[in-house]
Amino acid sequence: MLQTVPTAHYLILAAVLFCLGMLGVLLRRNALVVFMCIELMLNAANLTFLAFARERGDSVGHLSAFFIIAVAAAEAAVGLAIVIAVFRSRGTVNIEEIQSMKH
Amino acid sequence: MEKLQLFFQTSPVDPTAAGHALWLIIALPLLGALISGVFGKIIGRQNTHLVAVGAVGGSFLMSLLVFWAINDFRSSAGSPFGPISYAVGADFGTWFSAGSFKVTFGLTADHLSGSMLLVITGVGFLIHLYSTGYMSHDAGYWRFFAYLNLFIAAMLTLVLADSLPLLFVGWEGVGLCSYLLIGFWYDDAQKAFAGRKAFITNRIGDFGFLVAAFLTVLVVESITQLPVASLNRAGADGAMVASRYAQGVSARGALSMPVLEETARILPNLLTQEIATGPLKGLAYGTALTIILLLFLLGAAGKSAQIPLYVWLPDAMAGPTPVSALIHAATMVTSGIYLFCRLSYLVVLSPTAMAVIALIGASTALVAALIAFTQTGIKKVLAYSTVSQLGFMFLGIGVGAFWAAFLHVVTHAFFKACLFLGAGSVMHGNADEEDITRLGGVRKEMPVTWATFLIATLAITGIVPLSGFFSKDAILHAAHVNGIAGFEWAGHLAYWLGVVTAAGTSFYMMRLYFLTFEGERAKDAKTPHAHESSPVMTGPLVVLAVLSVVALVHGLPIMHVQRGGTTVTQALMENFLDPVFRTTNDLVAQKQFLVLPKEEHGLLGAYVQAWLIAVVAGALAFFVYRRYLPAVKKLPAALEPLRKFSFNKFYVDEVYTALIVRPLTFVARAAYRLVDAVLIDGVMVRGTAWVTKQTGAVLRYLQTGDAQMYAAVMAVALAGGLVWALMRVMP
Repeated sequence: MLQTVPTAHYLILAAVLFCLGMLGVLLRRNALVVFMCIELMLNAANLTFLAFARERGDSVGHLSAFFIIAVAAAEAAVGLAIVIAVFRSRGTVNIEEIQSMKH
Repeated sequence: MEKLQLFFQTSPVDPTAAGHALWLIIALPLLGALISGVFGKIIGRQNTHLVAVGAVGGSFLMSLLVFWAINDFRSSAGSPFGPISYAVGADFGTWFSAGSFKVTFGLTADHLSGSMLLVITGVGFLIHLYSTGYMSHDAGYWRFFAYLNLFIAAMLTLVLADSLPLLFVGWEGVGLCSYLLIGFWYDDAQKAFAGRKAFITNRIGDFGFLVAAFLTVLVVESITQLPVASLNRAGADGAMVASRYAQGVSARGALSMPVLEETARILPNLLTQEIATGPLKGLAYGTALTIILLLFLLGAAGKSAQIPLYVWLPDAMAGPTPVSALIHAATMVTSGIYLFCRLSYLVVLSPTAMAVIALIGASTALVAALIAFTQTGIKKVLAYSTVSQLGFMFLGIGVGAFWAAFLHVVTHAFFKACLFLGAGSVMHGNADEEDITRLGGVRKEMPVTWATFLIATLAITGIVPLSGFFSKDAILHAAHVNGIAGFEWAGHLAYWLGVVTAAGTSFYMMRLYFLTFEGERAKDAKTPHAHESSPVMTGPLVVLAVLSVVALVHGLPIMHVQRGGTTVTQALMENFLDPVFRTTNDLVAQKQFLVLPKEEHGLLGAYVQAWLIAVVAGALAFFVYRRYLPAVKKLPAALEPLRKFSFNKFYVDEVYTALIVRPLTFVARAAYRLVDAVLIDGVMVRGTAWVTKQTGAVLRYLQTGDAQMYAAVMAVALAGGLVWALMRVMP
């Protein structure tokens, strides 16, 4: 008999991934890594959607996942372009050094 | 005679079609105003003249056709209460409605508004023509003709309107145009002020008009809710009356003229009954009617320059002279008289209102005449004489002589327009000299102006064969013989005031004439020689002078009518307006609020008396200003304070300034200082800005530029929100 993984496990995994991603966003200094952590959070959300889609047996969750993938792709294109532009102008991608937009 | 009658009663235009074309009469000057106002500068002076004069001329021709159609024996205007004979009109649909209240675009021309049409467009046309000469050097000609045309359009709306709200559109329109025209030379602060004064004074009256209209709606609404039994009247069943009334109100609106007329027919039996429903609950119908009429009187006093609102009219002479002739002689100021002739069926139901109207009219006539005695400006004298003559008209309305009041409107339009235009011609030919003490001897140099001015002067003083005599005498005669039930003393008082004023009129008009035209030329005159005006200016003068004479046929008692078995002699105008005042006459016969003389009075005696008054007063003026004053050079010291008192217009303006204008200005200034400057500008506007700025100054230190810090705050907030949501869900 095929042993299926309970939905709760997926959700716990997604939550763990999300928290890791969030900590990365909040704590890491390299803009590129922060960027990757955002992708991680997006994919954690994706995992949650798919887990519930599997639980409910319909395709709405899949639909949302596809949207998120599309958004993530667009965000990666724009975000990487910004990172490259910032690096060119300042010679660094350390976000602690990029704090010129303040009072 | 038969053939002539048949000719006048067979119109070349189908009356129904004429009724449907009534809007064209208004639309033509309106279009003219648009073209002159927008394109006047581009198309040039000559073309603007053509458009403006042509528009009014076209309107006049159409008015003639409509007038013919009104007299057609086939003519009838539809109304919810059966067709109205000797009238044409059409309903052009709903203007607006709210709940059960409704106003329609209805235009009607009957004998009353038809005559007004001819006066407005006819005299208006002559004045337009005259203006092309008078304003030939003014750069603002396009503006002037646009306003003039707009004015005519507004006045035509006023007389053609079939409901009070539409009438009010014209009413406000003439108010606006008078403001624009009086303040036409607005770069002169004094003239701009005169325009503003006219507008504000009129607004006070308009307020009364509006409140009166609102109260009328309430009265009509309450009548529709009465039990049918209380609507029984001779020859009509209550249920029938009630259903037709409700139908009429829903079809044409509570403020349309047919509904108001039917209201007047219903009211006689209700006058002492209390209103049972609505905000006026507990008030007797008669009292409500009196209040409404007095408020309408306030409105009419504003437009028609009666006490206490007459002060704007003499100042209105600041406008160009043709404007004075148009607004303050022929059209605008007659709108109050027109309104009361329209509502005559309501007026005769309230003796109190009649007495007040008669007394206001008589005292205005006297006060204005007394002021006119000493004025030195040629236009000022004419302005006060206008106020005085308007007082006569109100006197006529107050004593129930509506036809006589209206006849005086018509004749006054002719001779006063002639006088004003003559005065303009005198000024034009004398280097704009206005002071009659610095004129004199103009007679030989301006023969046409002299002749026409003399005819018009004789007409206004009431010398026998001229039109002014018949109209003024008809009013005074009515004041003498008609009695207002319960207020007989008011009628007598008004009559004697009227007689004194008639003598005064003759005196100050002859004074004006002698000082301007006779005698030697004054030593301090601006130009040594006057020059006669161009034919385009004298032409209208001649026409108007002829009309001032010819209009007398309206006053001749030549119509013999069968009334209840006896033959009654009526003046032509009285007979002509009979269809308009049919309801009014029925109500007078029914309620006896207006006591008419039982037998015919000999008219000849009254004629002789009126003629004597005019001649004696005129002779006195001749003696004083041609014999006595040139000899003694100076007024006796005893009379000097009186002269000063009159010359300063009884200090009415000063009293108004002290009692009304100053306190109001004070309140306005206090409101400006406290509410506007402190509360709104200080606390609200600047306060908001200050709070925002200070908050920003404090909070901006939170903006560190550290993106991760922002993200952390966001995450913590989201987490907090999550925890709160969970706590709400968890038991």
